[in-house]
Amino acid sequence: MIVTKSWLNEWIDLDGISTDYLAKTLNSIGLEVDRIQSYSVPNKIIFGRVLECEKHPEADKLNICQVDIGASTRQIVCGASNIRAGLDVVVATIGATMPDGTIIKPVKLRGVESDGMICSAKEIGLEDTQDGILELDSSIGEYTLGQEVSENSTLCDDLIEIELTANRGDCLSVRGIARDLSAAFDRPLKDKSVEENEDKRVGIGRILSLSHEPNLHVNLRYKAVDLKDLVLPCIVKLRLAQIEEKRETDIESVMLYATHSSGVILRAYNYSFFCEDNNTLAKAHLASDDNGYASIMAKEKASTVGIIQEDVSKVTYDEGTVLIEASYIPPDIISRKMQEVKMPSGPMYYRTSRGSEPELDQGLDFCLRLIDSNSNSSLYGGNIELGNDYEDTVISVSKKEIDKIIGADIDKVKITNILNNLGFSTTKSSSDKFVISVPRYRHDISHKQDIVEEIVRLVGIDNIPSKAFCFTEDNRLGDDYLTYKKRQSYRHKAAFSGFFESVHFVFDEKKVLQKYGFETLNEELELLNPIVNTLDTLRSTLLTGLLKAASHNSKNGYLSIKLFEIGSLFNSKREESLKMAMLFSGDRESQNLSNAGKPAKVDFGFFAQKLSDIIGDFKLREFETSHSLSHIYQCAEVMIDGKPVGELFRVHPTVEDDYDLDVTYMCELDFGKLPYGLKTATNTSKYQASFKDLSLIMPQDMSYEKVKTTIESANVNNLVRFYPVDRYSDESLGENMSLSIRFVLQSSEKTLEEEDITSSMDSILESLQSSLGIGLR
Amino acid sequence: MNLLREWYDAIKDAQSVEQIEEIRISVFGKKGVLAEQFAKMKTAPNEEKSKIAQELNTHKSALMNELTARKITLQTLELKEAMKAESIDVSLFSSKSEAGGLHPVMETMDRIVEYFSSMNFAVKTGGMVEDDFNNFEALNLPKYHPARDMQDTFYFKDEMLLRTHTSPVQIRTMMNTQPPIRMIAPGAVFRRDYDITHTPMFHQIEGLLVDDEGKVSFANLKFILEDFLKYMFGDVEVRFRPSFFPFTEPSAEVDISCVFCKGKGCRVCSKTGWLEVLGCGIVDPNVFEAVKYKNVSGYAFGLGVERFAMLIHQIGDLRSLFEGDIKLLEQFQ
Repeated sequence: MIVTKSWLNEWIDLDGISTDYLAKTLNSIGLEVDRIQSYSVPNKIIFGRVLECEKHPEADKLNICQVDIGASTRQIVCGASNIRAGLDVVVATIGATMPDGTIIKPVKLRGVESDGMICSAKEIGLEDTQDGILELDSSIGEYTLGQEVSENSTLCDDLIEIELTANRGDCLSVRGIARDLSAAFDRPLKDKSVEENEDKRVGIGRILSLSHEPNLHVNLRYKAVDLKDLVLPCIVKLRLAQIEEKRETDIESVMLYATHSSGVILRAYNYSFFCEDNNTLAKAHLASDDNGYASIMAKEKASTVGIIQEDVSKVTYDEGTVLIEASYIPPDIISRKMQEVKMPSGPMYYRTSRGSEPELDQGLDFCLRLIDSNSNSSLYGGNIELGNDYEDTVISVSKKEIDKIIGADIDKVKITNILNNLGFSTTKSSSDKFVISVPRYRHDISHKQDIVEEIVRLVGIDNIPSKAFCFTEDNRLGDDYLTYKKRQSYRHKAAFSGFFESVHFVFDEKKVLQKYGFETLNEELELLNPIVNTLDTLRSTLLTGLLKAASHNSKNGYLSIKLFEIGSLFNSKREESLKMAMLFSGDRESQNLSNAGKPAKVDFGFFAQKLSDIIGDFKLREFETSHSLSHIYQCAEVMIDGKPVGELFRVHPTVEDDYDLDVTYMCELDFGKLPYGLKTATNTSKYQASFKDLSLIMPQDMSYEKVKTTIESANVNNLVRFYPVDRYSDESLGENMSLSIRFVLQSSEKTLEEEDITSSMDSILESLQSSLGIGLR
Repeated sequence: MNLLREWYDAIKDAQSVEQIEEIRISVFGKKGVLAEQFAKMKTAPNEEKSKIAQELNTHKSALMNELTARKITLQTLELKEAMKAESIDVSLFSSKSEAGGLHPVMETMDRIVEYFSSMNFAVKTGGMVEDDFNNFEALNLPKYHPARDMQDTFYFKDEMLLRTHTSPVQIRTMMNTQPPIRMIAPGAVFRRDYDITHTPMFHQIEGLLVDDEGKVSFANLKFILEDFLKYMFGDVEVRFRPSFFPFTEPSAEVDISCVFCKGKGCRVCSKTGWLEVLGCGIVDPNVFEAVKYKNVSGYAFGLGVERFAMLIHQIGDLRSLFEGDIKLLEQFQ
């Protein structure tokens, strides 16, 4: 909602109130100031009057004007199409520095001297009215020829843009905001009512009749005018530019201006639209349309109340009879209706769905006065009206209840004053109890808490002292907190292991998920209104997001990319689960002196090692995954305590190509299955450990898993652990390879003797020979 | 004895530990000068023997002292030389951490959760896919409410939706437990908006406190939020502005003095000197009615984690937070 200081001043006296103080007050009463813009016009730009205006002999589009600037007359060449003699204009005189930096100098235009410039609104730093030079009139207040424009407070105004909350439809007008300010400043609204002499006018009843269906909850009020020579006043054009709205015709502009000023929804109708053939009596009928919307009907629909006006009923002429309608419909009726049956809405729907002004006469009067004083139109007398009885909302609340909610002692007199200034009427049923009747424009107020809110905002929250809350203690460390801590602990471990945490949208592109063989949401559970087609479904994996991010980083020149994410994803039934995924692409570390600028690339073992740094011990077993992101021969299932928790794989070479990536490894793990809890310590030996290597000759296609299981099941004395340390194959070995395994032997009872060690190693070899048929080199 | 004199000079002149060792052998060795002299002593007249022996012993210990001292000196010098050979240009090794880093939004979320859990708020989470009742209806947002515009919410074909705030977690918690309640709900939320200042997914933390009727006041809400904002942003001014939310009444928006310009007015705060950071209020009775709570009072508040992270770390572009961009992330190593 945009207002300006001079515009507000038409409704409430703001004398002595600075713009800063005004903005501060608006903020403190809950009308949030979003933007303040001050219009200022540079010096040496003054008011002038065009005395003569002749065509330039050498240029079609130029005019030579003699301009009265108070003390003297200047000859100025002007190219605007709306220049003419008799016009009051804004003149930039020699030496003026325009807002765009241009300095005005005497010039010759096609041989004719020009001593200054006649300006448009935009050229002097005001909003762009988009209609040539600014045509001045008395709507901008008093001015004299030769006076500096910067002295005019209506042109050099301060604009305030207010971000309104959805409940405050009553503040969607300049008058509405002035009404709130009147409570804040304790100053009355200006009285705008004028005694009209209607004796000589033809009554509207002679040209219009209104009929209606019952129970549509609509208030209507009509006036009529024979429109002639309507000229929009300068200030109306400027202010419409300030609120960044534009209408096709002058009469529509007047409606918009009057609505923005008063809050009343106004429409102008083509009179003949309501007249049947050759009949001069217009007939309007308020009826419910096929969808149950209250509508104004003639031979066809003229408008839907509170929603939209049909083009066919709009005024397309400058001269002729025009019906002007003010309407009110309770906002919940139309927004409820809109929920049931959607229909296209016009620009006023924003106001009507939040609550427009129910005091129709003040909006209608404002509008007609504006037409009357800026045209040669004649008004019809009286009005045609359809009223509705509304029951006032009455709320009773005690001072004690108010104090308890606020947490402070609020003075009774203050409460009464605040409510009365806001237009609520209050009576007291007992010394402590307020009975409050709510004005109709405050449809948002329905119970005690709403009243407390009004008191809070006008007392000012800053004036309420803070108090600590005393709470009954209870254990609040539930499961959700522990999951949160687990997640935090894994995130920290991943970060310390060199991975960057990334966060992606839980949306993904269905096409991409399908391309790589991931499951997608069942069609009937799919998103109804995705925002873009690259985010048209919920993700079923974290992998695609990480790949995209890695690709982005690779293009940015990163040679070593380490990313992880812990996040939610969804299966085809749209069940949510938490997973952790990691990606390692390219170099193991950054290029530096120690690696001579050529760090090794990540490989399967290195990546598995990194993963182990984060999630602890795990085993890998061969695995065939269901998606096609994975390299077919480098893919493993990650097992913890004998249970699968996820997969680890090299990215398929063609996928690496798709994403412009160097060699890349990824894993995705079920976060719920990752261990979290206290570790238990086992007794450790105090005696020396011995290391022994065995180099086994075995077939190249024999899995280490087999070797491992065989050794483990042999229950070898004093064997603490063993691990592969070297793998070698050459032609001499043929189909075989040599695998060196290091064994660590230790006893908790003594330092092992040579024969103990030999006996252990022998039993290992024995079992390998008997189970797998492999032995030493 | 002049024969021994020259060894004093030899020790003095020795230039390496190796030479000293040679001298030691020549003087103290089995066939060394001293051994030779002691042997000669046997042939000397008896009355001179003790004098010679005394003299030889004096030289023996003096030479040993000289030799040891010189050896230590030379050893020290040699070690120095050896270390000099190992000298490096340390400036070549000004290094950058190889560690990864936490995402600034998640890290900010951690700090916020840390504050509230130390104030004994429980942490509660819930699913992202929600139904209309928990996301809107129970929160006093009836079907026809303007804030429920189709444009703001992601819907599914089966009338479920992606939660637009974490408030459904509060509703579910209230439906499952009895007051008193003190909880926060952190998590991702979704709005159908995508431009420079909006992403379709962002993170929120919402808080809720419920106790007996008449016990929880606006003043209590003010207390905890002022304390929390000072914990997060340090020495800032906090301002409450009346506002409107369907689920609270009275409601307020909370501003802090701009952390960039210290309240003087800059581009970030649109020249106002204030930054909006929180929404809050006293829980609307319609919300309690929806979860069938009677005779209770409570306060609630909510904040956007991205907004906090961007203010704390002075991050300019919201969308960059969701791209896994190492250029951004490595600044938080």
